[in-house]
Amino acid sequence: MPPNLGELTAAVPELDAPQEVRLLSMERPLTVLRVSLHHPTPGSATFAYVPPQLEHDASPLLVGRGPDAHLRLQLPRLSRQHLSLEPYLEKGGTRLAFSLKALSRKGSVWVNGLTLRFLEQVTLGAVNRVAFSGVQMVVRIEGGTSLEAFVCCFHLSPSPLIYRLRAEETDERESVPQEQPPPGAGHGAPDHLGFLHSPLQPSPGGVPEIPLQREPLDGSLS
Amino acid sequence: MSSFEDADTEEMVTCLQMTLYHPGHQRSGIFRSIKFFNREKLPTSEVVKFGRNSHTCNYIFQDKQVSRVQFSLQVFKKFNSSVVSFEIKNMSKKTSLLVDNKELGYLNKMDLPDKCMIRFGDYQFLVEKEDGESLEFFEIQFSLSKKPLLQENNWLSQEPIPECGSYSSCLTQNNSPMEVGENEW
Repeated sequence: MPPNLGELTAAVPELDAPQEVRLLSMERPLTVLRVSLHHPTPGSATFAYVPPQLEHDASPLLVGRGPDAHLRLQLPRLSRQHLSLEPYLEKGGTRLAFSLKALSRKGSVWVNGLTLRFLEQVTLGAVNRVAFSGVQMVVRIEGGTSLEAFVCCFHLSPSPLIYRLRAEETDERESVPQEQPPPGAGHGAPDHLGFLHSPLQPSPGGVPEIPLQREPLDGSLS
Repeated sequence: MSSFEDADTEEMVTCLQMTLYHPGHQRSGIFRSIKFFNREKLPTSEVVKFGRNSHTCNYIFQDKQVSRVQFSLQVFKKFNSSVVSFEIKNMSKKTSLLVDNKELGYLNKMDLPDKCMIRFGDYQFLVEKEDGESLEFFEIQFSLSKKPLLQENNWLSQEPIPECGSYSSCLTQNNSPMEVGENEW
């Protein structure tokens, strides 16, 4: 069963109150990053270290090949620290926003149509398409009010998440494809992480979705 | 050929010059962990933390009124820029951070101006960025001011303390009474 957002809370300690009151009155829902991952090589060990769920504090979450990475991906072409997801608060905001920064000196990171080189960064919207070293990643942010931590819920997609634009494509608006269950999986059969078979939807209100740009996708996707 | 002639060309690194002031620094030794006048080289990918916690912070203030992590600085590169820039982020839940006249609450961040005044509590830091070419490393160098840095709308450049390499040596070398203007407290 996918984790219920209501169950993903962070206790805010209030030392004077009895414990049961603290748990009931002070918990705030965590921001959830629903992360879908895809790599074109079938059966690869790329995602062997990806947990179903990862709770992280308010420091930047590192993605890369190295042992210090919080999200470790096993790809030789990936840098030890390839990118970071940094939570912060916009002035006047009450929910965490996220900034994605490229940390690879050799590689690049494609984010919502922008190619980021070393140390360049962008603010993420409600739904984000990211590609690096052949990995495709779609990040959907569901805001919670806790500022202590956030949680990533990972889903491994057997099918591509981001498609190349064809040369004859004339429609300026690029659509994010629906995920298809793998052949023979059976209707409704969950993969081993259990959720995110519904079409990606922008979350109502909250952080505006970054407009999709028509841009030729570079080798980040292959 | 000598190793000097064979070596890769060194790039100039960006340097953050930070002048620190706190009214009680001489009495309480809050800056005793800071190595003044020492240029420390740091990788641009590092998040530099300032605060009380010696396990997590790069630079430590020995003051219980300072948060465990008070604020952080990190490097980024603006699009189409050849030099690195800095972001400052308030990591304290209790204390606001003032950058010039802008107030940052917990987890708020902003681009650090090339020259600016950072303030929290009684602390005043004058920060000046010297641009370099390197994208790999940057440096931080601290100096100590005995006088408040914020004087109405003027940031007075304070007389530098003689370079002596250590905080305690700097204190003992100057035994003359400190003059304080009547408007400086």
